[in-house]
Amino acid sequence: METNGLNMLVTEAIWRAEELEALGIRSELAWKEVSSLEEKLAKLHPASEPEGQIARRGAVSAALEASDYARAQALADGYLAEDGAPESLKAALREILEEDAAAMESRFPYASKHHSLREVQGWAGRLRASGAFGLAA
Amino acid sequence: MLLAHAARFLARRGKGVVVLDFDFEAPGLHYKFGIERATAGGVVPYLIATLGGAASPPPFDDHMIAALVPAGAEGWVRLMPAGPAPHRSYWAALKELGDRLRLTDLSGRGFMALLDLQARIADELKPDYLLIDARTGVTELGGLATTVLADTVGCLLAPNNESVGGTLAVGQAMKASPRLANQKPLRIVPVLSRTPPGITRDAYYTSSIARLMAARGMIPEGSLPFVLPHDAELRTLEDLFGPSDSESPLYQAYVELFLELFPDASPASGT
Repeated sequence: METNGLNMLVTEAIWRAEELEALGIRSELAWKEVSSLEEKLAKLHPASEPEGQIARRGAVSAALEASDYARAQALADGYLAEDGAPESLKAALREILEEDAAAMESRFPYASKHHSLREVQGWAGRLRASGAFGLAA
Repeated sequence: MLLAHAARFLARRGKGVVVLDFDFEAPGLHYKFGIERATAGGVVPYLIATLGGAASPPPFDDHMIAALVPAGAEGWVRLMPAGPAPHRSYWAALKELGDRLRLTDLSGRGFMALLDLQARIADELKPDYLLIDARTGVTELGGLATTVLADTVGCLLAPNNESVGGTLAVGQAMKASPRLANQKPLRIVPVLSRTPPGITRDAYYTSSIARLMAARGMIPEGSLPFVLPHDAELRTLEDLFGPSDSESPLYQAYVELFLELFPDASPASGT
């Protein structure tokens, strides 16, 4: 599909996701769709182009809105490692992830006083990889 | 039942205790405290509220119950039941929590929700002890309750091969599990429960289980599991640690176990 068609679809998907949110309906699936469409746009445009930068930021942001942290992190890692990615894009991607971490810490203020989010995320990763009690490792 | 007795024991020693029912699939700890009907709140509704992005932390009073303590006890016990079980709304809430908690989500959101509850209890209620009734078996939540949330795990097992084998596997994994930065190494206190008369703490069978546990790093060399003898009559008493102390072997065994689990609750410590 060409850029224009994808732009139409992503605009519709963003509108749908925001409308669902405004109605108090869970919108993760809609944001997942936004992220997928932005990812496709990112493949059509290099990171050096403004359209490519918008798409990369959108893919990561929408994955976080979809509560799919693993996808957001994987996309960001890929975009940060791209040849020709301008520093401004890299800084923007890091800022998106940092803002999400800050939002998490403010949502759980008591835990954040005692534990680092990075450490807790490491624990979640171990649980994902090795199952309860690490017995599936 | 062990947890309820432990809470009452500590209250009699002047301690403040918060008890959490993390046995979400078989919720009923409130019954052990003589509470027939749990409140609308509890751990499951609390976690749903925090995971849903509540603007301010849900009031503890909406989710906890002050449990009755034995007459003359100077301590206190606050119970956070799993939720309004067995009402249908509880099972609907549990399903919603399953969708939201997602402990394997790499964002760490589910973990943070659990740690936030634990940290808030420590910061605001300042109990001497937080007791958590964790799910039996190999579940994600049970794993976290006994590895990330715990300092000490009272590990109950029955005197049969199935229970001993499962406990060895899980206990070894618990000890091998990494701790958070500010946590001490996990302590496991194994407890053989409902034992027939022939199985005592110094019995050959008990020491052979201890050897297996020590070989897996679960307990130090030379230490023994505690033994709670089967006592059908006493198990039906709700006020085991009420005003009238019992001379039964089970009562004595409970006291011995609690003094090991809660060393600063011993009479010598002044409480």
